[in-house]
Amino acid sequence: MNNKLIVSTSPHIYTRESSAKIMWMVTLSLVPAGIAGVYIFGLSSLWVILTGIISAVLTEAAIQKLRGAAVTLYDGSALLTGLLLAYCLPPAVPLWVVACGSVFAIAIGKQAFGGLGQNIFNPALAGRAFLLAAWPTYMTTWTNPRGALDAITSATPLDNAFVGVTYWDLFIGRRSGCIGEVCIIALLAGALFLLMSGYISWHIPFSFIATAGIFTWAFGADTLFSGQWLFHILSGGLILGAFFMATDYVTSPLTNKGKLIFGFGCGLFTGIIRLWGGYPEGVCYAILLMNAACPLIDRYTRPRRFGTK
Amino acid sequence: MDLGLLLSIVIGNIFISNFILFKFLGLCPFIGVSRKTGPALSMGAAVIFVMTLSSIITWCIYNFLLLPFNMEFLRTISFILVIASFVQLAEMIILKTNPTLYRVLGVYLPLITTNCAILGVTVLNIDMFFKEGKALSFSFFYAVLQGFCAGLGFLLAMLLMSGIRERLDILDVPDSLKGIPLAFIVASLMSLAFMGFSGFKF
Amino acid sequence: MKKLFQEFTKGIHRENPIFALALGLCPTLAISTSVKTGLGMGLAATFVLIGSNVIISAIRNGIPHKIRIPCFIVIIATFVTIVELVMQAYFPPLSKQLGIFVPLIVVNCIIMCRAEGFAAKNPPTRSLFDALGMGAGFTLGLVLISAIREAIGSGRLFGYILFKGYQPALTLALAPGALLVLGLLLGLSNLIFKRK
Repeated sequence: MNNKLIVSTSPHIYTRESSAKIMWMVTLSLVPAGIAGVYIFGLSSLWVILTGIISAVLTEAAIQKLRGAAVTLYDGSALLTGLLLAYCLPPAVPLWVVACGSVFAIAIGKQAFGGLGQNIFNPALAGRAFLLAAWPTYMTTWTNPRGALDAITSATPLDNAFVGVTYWDLFIGRRSGCIGEVCIIALLAGALFLLMSGYISWHIPFSFIATAGIFTWAFGADTLFSGQWLFHILSGGLILGAFFMATDYVTSPLTNKGKLIFGFGCGLFTGIIRLWGGYPEGVCYAILLMNAACPLIDRYTRPRRFGTK
Repeated sequence: MDLGLLLSIVIGNIFISNFILFKFLGLCPFIGVSRKTGPALSMGAAVIFVMTLSSIITWCIYNFLLLPFNMEFLRTISFILVIASFVQLAEMIILKTNPTLYRVLGVYLPLITTNCAILGVTVLNIDMFFKEGKALSFSFFYAVLQGFCAGLGFLLAMLLMSGIRERLDILDVPDSLKGIPLAFIVASLMSLAFMGFSGFKF
Repeated sequence: MKKLFQEFTKGIHRENPIFALALGLCPTLAISTSVKTGLGMGLAATFVLIGSNVIISAIRNGIPHKIRIPCFIVIIATFVTIVELVMQAYFPPLSKQLGIFVPLIVVNCIIMCRAEGFAAKNPPTRSLFDALGMGAGFTLGLVLISAIREAIGSGRLFGYILFKGYQPALTLALAPGALLVLGLLLGLSNLIFKRK
């Protein structure tokens, strides 16, 4: 290890091998959702996933070579970034867009800060936000799921709240959306594995989902406390974001209290952006916003500051 | 009074068109004073203070002095002079009356004179809340609110940035990006995140 | 003569206001969406810079030290007002695009910095060349940034389409793109000139 004092990332006691292991485990837990996505949307989404991964890994290797640093592809972090980015893209997005997103995610989102463990923002989400601002038409063109009888031709899945989509459809992923976010049951299986094996803690997903649910229940309809909260939880990228992106070790707070605050903020901003914002989906922006606030949360939830007001 | 306009002033100035991240006003203090959270907070407080009061003063000057005598072309000159002298005055008054506050804000007050966000918000007030040489109804109230909220937005961006930069200081970032360049890249990603607020409808 | 030439070139290269001194960044970011506005802003700032530098340096011995800053501000603001009115009269579209950043030239740190740091201590001819160099450096920096943003962000240069079929990355034309391009260019200039 180098002799710098590194205080940010939470797995303090792990060595490099272990942090690589975490990355691979998270990647593994995401595989079911990917398979489901490819099944639901067809082979084109497989190419999106592969392009995302390959261009992320290549970018990482190229930049590490240029910087003269050791090439650390085996830690799986670039692969995970590429995978997560691909999971939150629509299935029909052109492959060059995917590649651009991966390059941005790795080069600007991660390597500009010095690489693994140092980035402030979740690289995959930074990549997605960049793509959404850069090529909005490609990023909001959705594919119909396999087996959909009548074509759902909305701009976004969140727009046409309930046209022929039941909760069960949402649960098994029979809806249009991003590749990796649609099949809730596959995502939950992966999330359960991560929770059970202790790779992620329950704090962020719990407070994230609970806040978003309560917020959309309270303000989601014309009258108070009558919003379709279950729909909001099951739709969009909320489950994917809450379990696999907001919990990223590097960009989330260290303490449990901090994690609860972090999740609360994510849920709140998700709800606000979904209900009142110009974009239909707020998960990505909510997590990025809380990433920005994460150093501050860490600063004010340091254990020694308890009891001092 | 128009509630929609009111809300759009508040949300707009704090989030959607944040002075630093979207209007690019006040970048010098944003980059210069955001190394540590403490000073960043004080700077933000000082900016809120000066922005609100400048909005009040410049609105009065424009409405009661420049407009009646057809001297709108003196807007820039008079505003910057008034702001500069007002800041001087505020500094002296605070020093005499409230030494604690002076210790918090004092050093930052002179810096604020050349902060383009201050002049920016006053000019924007005039552009937005005067139509064809006449003040809109409640325009004074809107102007003051805009001054205050723009200051709040400034404080928010400062605070987030300073937290991030405190962390960046202890990281092993690429040499050529160390310091200001990386601060801009962080600001760019922050501004991407803030884009989530665009297109708000109430 | 050689010395005067040096005063000119330092603003472009060694003491470039944008890349070396990191001054005048607010307008740099805000109006660099197209080369046209970038150039317009650069020229306007250069004009103010020349005017204020020459006048301030000419009367530098007559200004009492204590109230020099307000004096500078008045002089600078006068030139800014001239630019504002001329632009409104002869280039209304440009004036609209630049918006509040024309009056904001008053608080552009470059101008104040050269007034205080150079013109107040040096004779008019040297101040003139300093202003020319700084103005040229500022304009060049602006044109560079806006060319990058216009080319990538809207696929055009001076309003002409560059490549057929290119799909512009709109982000570059938006606020995040401005901050990103500036950050990367600052990093690049650090890398090239090994500034620390």
